[in-house]
Amino acid sequence: MRFFKKTNIDFLKLRKIMYLSSTAVIVAGLISLAIKGIDLGIDFRGGTELVLSFTAKPEVSQVRAALGAVGLGQSEIKFFGAEGDLLIRTAEQGEGMVVGDKIKQAIEQAFPDRKFEVLKEDKIGPKIGEELRKDALYAVAASFLVILAYIAVRFRFIYGVGAVVALFHDVLVALGVLSLLDGVIPTLNLEISQEVVAAFLTLVGISVNDTVVIFDRIRENLKIYRSLSLMEVINRSLNDTLSRTIITQGTVLLVLFTLFFAGGEVTRGFAFTLTVGTIAGTYSSVYIASAIVLDWTIRKQKRKEVNP
Amino acid sequence: MRKQLSKVILIIAAVLLSLVFLYPTYQDYQYRKKLSALAGQDSIAYLEQHEDDILNAKLKRLKLGLDLQGGMRVVLEVDVIQMLEDVAKNKDDNFRTIISELRSGATTTDESVIPVLGKKFQDRGIRLSRYYGSIRESDATIVGELTNETEKAIDRAIEVVRNRVDQYRVSEPTIQKQGGRRIIVELPGVKDEREVRSLLQGTAKLEFKLLRDADISYKVMKSVDDYLSGKVEEDTSAAAKTLKKEQKPKDALEELLSGTKPAETDTSREARFTREHPFFSYVLPDQQNTGEGFVEEKNRDRVIRLLARPELQRLYPIDFEFLWSAKPEPLADGKQYYRLYAVKRRAELTGGVIVDARASVSQEDNRPIVNMEMNSEGSREWARITGANVGKRIAIALDNAIFSAPVVINKIVGGRSQITGLDSPNEARLLEIVLRAGALPAPLAIVEQRTVGPSLGEDSVQSGVSATLYAFVLTVLFMILYYRSAGIVADFALFFNILFILGVLAGFQGTLTLPGIAGVILTIGLAVDANVLINERIREELQGGKTMRAAIDAGYSKAFSAIFDSNITTFLTAIVLYQFGTGPVQGFALTLMIGIVASMFSAILITRVIFNTMTDRNMPPNFG
Repeated sequence: MRFFKKTNIDFLKLRKIMYLSSTAVIVAGLISLAIKGIDLGIDFRGGTELVLSFTAKPEVSQVRAALGAVGLGQSEIKFFGAEGDLLIRTAEQGEGMVVGDKIKQAIEQAFPDRKFEVLKEDKIGPKIGEELRKDALYAVAASFLVILAYIAVRFRFIYGVGAVVALFHDVLVALGVLSLLDGVIPTLNLEISQEVVAAFLTLVGISVNDTVVIFDRIRENLKIYRSLSLMEVINRSLNDTLSRTIITQGTVLLVLFTLFFAGGEVTRGFAFTLTVGTIAGTYSSVYIASAIVLDWTIRKQKRKEVNP
Repeated sequence: MRKQLSKVILIIAAVLLSLVFLYPTYQDYQYRKKLSALAGQDSIAYLEQHEDDILNAKLKRLKLGLDLQGGMRVVLEVDVIQMLEDVAKNKDDNFRTIISELRSGATTTDESVIPVLGKKFQDRGIRLSRYYGSIRESDATIVGELTNETEKAIDRAIEVVRNRVDQYRVSEPTIQKQGGRRIIVELPGVKDEREVRSLLQGTAKLEFKLLRDADISYKVMKSVDDYLSGKVEEDTSAAAKTLKKEQKPKDALEELLSGTKPAETDTSREARFTREHPFFSYVLPDQQNTGEGFVEEKNRDRVIRLLARPELQRLYPIDFEFLWSAKPEPLADGKQYYRLYAVKRRAELTGGVIVDARASVSQEDNRPIVNMEMNSEGSREWARITGANVGKRIAIALDNAIFSAPVVINKIVGGRSQITGLDSPNEARLLEIVLRAGALPAPLAIVEQRTVGPSLGEDSVQSGVSATLYAFVLTVLFMILYYRSAGIVADFALFFNILFILGVLAGFQGTLTLPGIAGVILTIGLAVDANVLINERIREELQGGKTMRAAIDAGYSKAFSAIFDSNITTFLTAIVLYQFGTGPVQGFALTLMIGIVASMFSAILITRVIFNTMTDRNMPPNFG
């Protein structure tokens, strides 16, 4: 079976339009980030979070009333996931685990005949939250630098730049989509947890993987087709690798879908972020990374022609 | 085939090694199944028979992270401000204002507290020496000393926490120092979080306790042994019977460890000794007549349970208790042994009187020593105690675990003592930390705590395993559909890839977390990439009119650079992730890294060997 016979698509003809549409998507995401913001999870905000599983569920308003009695009425209270577990989150921390204990006691008193089980109880200090935020940014920045350096050495500097700009694009698109869709789909919890940050870094890995395969083909074809223009060579390389791109990214997406649907609550946000990132990464390998290499080289040649 | 021999051997070795690493995990699983299926006496006998194997399997199995098996992760931080308040002298209102200012400022900034403290005092024109150090010292010196003191505090805190966690006997705890002043404690399977919290945060209790004389110690041990073997029947047998009835028959392990007699049918000599001397078969009295008993590390829990029986208290003289050494030490047979000491229950002196303790080296013989200094009140007591007990031994116990039991050589007047006869500088350093822990507590604050309930962990394991299976089956089917027999070959590689990942994780004592499982699933997606690259290339070469053999060769060699470069970049990001991530995220990065290396091995080497063999045998693969 094969999806494509030999193709000869002029991918790069459309690159100017694609620059515009990429910018539009990113700007939309940034606007959403600025206005709506992003749902930072407990890991990055600090506070206390409990997940309780009830046999007989109380109403959110009842829970709120019970917590209000101990001065925690402002807490975020919601049922989530397939099982409908109760999540209670507050920015309060207090000494040790007092806040968590207070919440549990309040609920025990309010619903003496409803048994519940503590599935998860987290308390994160404010300093830890801030540090994790910082670490996450450092990690993404460090991965960009490492990739820039490696590709610059193995290929050329401009290839490294193209790859990293493409990565910026992917991360921004994924962030934007997370912000835009947050709260839109009721059962989908899109808050930024440590797992989602891991997804961002993995996204970087998968996306650059795809870019490098295309670059590798360009490197090879440049040696074979010396008479062709760079645009023709890149186009040819994109066509050569098209089949592989579709299949590999397809299997990765297939796997991510299974993780999304069968992997459970904790990895759902992770799988979603990676799915968006993988799609963005496949696109950006062509229309950002390769396109930048092309446009940059064309500009340099023009400059040479103007002042030889 | 001959040309490939070395490759085939390499592959078989890798597969075998993975299986060897994974075997204990399988064994552990089987034992659990068997034990839960057997009931009562049967399972005790089974446990008794296979005890070593079961423990061994448990030790070497693939470990599950806290998020999968449930448990607690606590990050503790030394509360520097609290410590500064504790160690200050002449505290007045000025001092208290500054401390409370510091406290309100410190919750948000991560700046080091001590220089800020120094500055606050300077702003008000108060010299630090008023509260800290001695009068002649400059502010800069005191700031340096205090900083130094904080760093030492974290080591003390770690030792205190480790000591307690050891005694709480959580299985497989991890205690790590993170950065300058944090401790990460992970306690898998712990349920009673309140107890653990107080365990981690309570003040350390350092005590000096007098050892009981050797003959008393042995006499008590002997009577415990006699009692447990049933020689002293009296009316206790009835009590023992009712005690036994209360035990759940299912809880075989419990029963075994509580020292119930093994099945009567067992007639080997060893078993008879165990039956006749239930205590001495686990506790070896010291030959040198010190009154100590040696207990092999693996038997410690058993002996603790034996000694925990309330009716044994009647056999003890007044003011008597057994305490354990804090750490095991190797004896001549190479095994690790704990010491069991008999001490007076009432402490002679508590650690609050210690002013200073320093590890040092003796000027006479260059041996490691510890110098200890006490305040005037402590010195008076100490002189009395040492004077009355020359030639006897005094145990230094931190939270009831004995770190050292030196002999009193002469009466110590003036409060300056020297502990000699230590084996190594490390032992001296540890003793310094322990002695100071009683005097200068390192107040700890919980800055992060995560508790995962066991049922959430179970759910996660289940959904993780099923997601992995689905992902695997879907990918396998797709590859066969798209590439025909070449797809089957790639699927083989994929299967071995997963085997390698799990094998390496088990072999290197890695931990499988939920994000780790996500890493395995992702590797399934990424691992086929190498084979897709290769197969696509071979298809191209075949279309170009090459023979099968030549197309395979060309396909592999041309695809290699792409596979190599793309995997290296992904690997580099995984390294970054490992560096910056914590806990579960590191688990993900680890499986991803192993997965990348394993996939290069299986996707390139294994498939190549299979393809070559197929063409050699005139069964050329079909690339669809």
